[in-house]
Amino acid sequence: MDIVEINNVTKTFGKYVAVDDLLLTVPRGCVYGFIGPNGSGKTTTMRMIMNIIYPDSGTIRVFGEQLKKSSTDRIGYMPEERGLYKKMKIRELLQFYGELKGGKNVNSSVDLWLKKLDLSGWANNKVESLSKGMSQKVQFIATVVSNPELIILDEPFSGLDPVNADTIKDAVLELQAQGTTVIFSTHDMNVAEKMCDFIFMIFKGKKVLDGTLASIQDIYGSDIIRIRTDDGSRACLDLKGVEKINDFGNIQELRMTPNCDPQEILSAIMSKTRVRSFDIVKPSLHDIFIRIAGTEAKETTHA
Amino acid sequence: MRKILRLTKREFIASVKTKGFIIALLLAPLFMGGSFIVMAITKDKVDTKDKKVVIVDRSGALANVLIESANQRNSKEIYDQKTGKKIKPAYLFETVTPSKKPEAQRLELSDRVRNDSLYAFVEIGQNMVHPEKNDSRITYYAKNAAMDDIRRWIEWPINDRLRTLRLKDAGIDASAVKDLFVWVSAEGMGLVSVDTGTGAVKEAKRANEAEAVLVPIIMLMLMFMMIQIGAMPLLNSVMEEKTQRIAEVLLGSITPFEFMMGKVLGGVGVSLTAAAVYVIGGVFTINRMGYGEYVPYYILPWFFAYMLLAITMFGALFTALGSACNDPRDAQSFAMPAMLLVLIPMFLITPILRQPQGSFSILSSFFPPFTPFIMLIRQSMPGGVPIWQPWIGVLGMIVFTVLFVWGGGRIFRIGILSQGETPKLGNILRWAVRG
Repeated sequence: MDIVEINNVTKTFGKYVAVDDLLLTVPRGCVYGFIGPNGSGKTTTMRMIMNIIYPDSGTIRVFGEQLKKSSTDRIGYMPEERGLYKKMKIRELLQFYGELKGGKNVNSSVDLWLKKLDLSGWANNKVESLSKGMSQKVQFIATVVSNPELIILDEPFSGLDPVNADTIKDAVLELQAQGTTVIFSTHDMNVAEKMCDFIFMIFKGKKVLDGTLASIQDIYGSDIIRIRTDDGSRACLDLKGVEKINDFGNIQELRMTPNCDPQEILSAIMSKTRVRSFDIVKPSLHDIFIRIAGTEAKETTHA
Repeated sequence: MRKILRLTKREFIASVKTKGFIIALLLAPLFMGGSFIVMAITKDKVDTKDKKVVIVDRSGALANVLIESANQRNSKEIYDQKTGKKIKPAYLFETVTPSKKPEAQRLELSDRVRNDSLYAFVEIGQNMVHPEKNDSRITYYAKNAAMDDIRRWIEWPINDRLRTLRLKDAGIDASAVKDLFVWVSAEGMGLVSVDTGTGAVKEAKRANEAEAVLVPIIMLMLMFMMIQIGAMPLLNSVMEEKTQRIAEVLLGSITPFEFMMGKVLGGVGVSLTAAAVYVIGGVFTINRMGYGEYVPYYILPWFFAYMLLAITMFGALFTALGSACNDPRDAQSFAMPAMLLVLIPMFLITPILRQPQGSFSILSSFFPPFTPFIMLIRQSMPGGVPIWQPWIGVLGMIVFTVLFVWGGGRIFRIGILSQGETPKLGNILRWAVRG
């Protein structure tokens, strides 16, 4: 059963089309990754699922029924920019957020999550005394403390050190194992590849990718040569049939033009230098992302 | 409703638990009544240093009476009879012969006052008994003559002697007309009414300034303070929650209207708490001081009714404006026009106190944002207002409160998620009308 169904939803802000005729379904119990450059429509889509903003046209259904006010009690939402009352004590804050959602056994849930994320000792401290990483963990607990069936996390890993990022990742996967559906947005393609059952990419308000990682990669085929040579990237220059070189220092990834024979490329390189390893692989999500949004993403980042 | 009340609870606790609230609760009455307190404390702090005053008496008939009266005062009034402690300065008058060059004499005496060898000097004209002639003035020269006690004091013995001299000139025996100069004042009384219990005519109450002015001003100040405590902070509070992204988290759980109402009701709770502390504390203190009869108990239910509606009405306005702000500067610029609705009634206090039943007072008390102030002043004054007027006032306030909450909710829904350029007041009004 699909837990979220977005049907032909469009949302504009003045003349700017934030989400354009979006069609998306999220199956229950999965981890769904939203990717896309900044300003592509990820947050707008999430806010519409949360009923914070309303679509101009189209419909959104959650839990098998039309989205309504009470639906959001069953959804946990963590916005991209964290919002915590600085003067509140952590336990009181979490109880408050849990009770706003109408959560049951909020107190025991708060204790459980504080312990799980190593924050028990901070329960009676004020939020303003926390580091950024700890604040983010508190925000995560505030999202899940009411035991929602669906959680929506906007950039949950941004700004976290690897230890805290792992803690949140483990918590997300544990929730999924217990049957919770998770939607999260990320700019970290490695995380999306490793954690998500489904990946959805939105670009300029339009859906450009949607499916499992394998199905997305299948669209692009095995057009990448991953090679390691004694001469590094120099050996890969001016090769016929190669449209792009991605240099990682020790290894290089070469994107082949369509209908190109990898054997010819290998021969050309071997004529120049000694080849240590040679693989033909599918493009990574990172590579696919760049192929779709490369120029625009750069512009957005520099803007 | 459950969510509104949960947010209300948080708002209330967050406000009343702060040191700022407790300090404001204690200090506000001190600031408001500061001058009264200072006056009470400094009442007995009188300069008891003797005051030496020179008399230049051109009439030749009045210096002696001043010296005699001062001697009497110095022997009877300047020492506390129980403790023998000096509580007032002695007035030490001495005469000098009037000079033929009065200006030079005045300059010389002024210099003595300047170098503190003299406190002041009095110049009495030549023709004091019949002032229609020239040179019939009394002039008092001192460093601060306008606020001087001695200047006021010398008027009594001089005028008393002048009356006697004038009667003598007219050939009238002063002892035969000793009531001639008894001044009779008109006493201010309230209106006479019938005692509903006994049916007898009740004696009218004596009107006094405390009841006529002090009670309405205290009620007005209390209402102003409650709006300052309960409604005003909502503008900044919403602006902060918006800029710190708390609003977005909350909107994931509650609707914008629930959000706004939770904030407003929190403000109502805060001001109810503060008002209860002030009213209970004030009534207790006034009764202990023996002025219990001046407590306008009949006004208190109206005060609380007006306050509840006013905080809701202004609270909705301030939260709505707060939602449109993107930084503290916006909050500052939006606060001023909104505060005018609260400040204008404060500026109108003098004409309202002078003519509480005038058509301007009546009409302005029916304008809902002004009702909690102006109607309250009019009700607090002796004579009160016709019973239908406060009810119409409350009805108008209810209509305006519903309107403000409805419009405020529409503004809040758009404003709380708006980013970028700060909207102008015209845009905000458009949000309220068009949604």
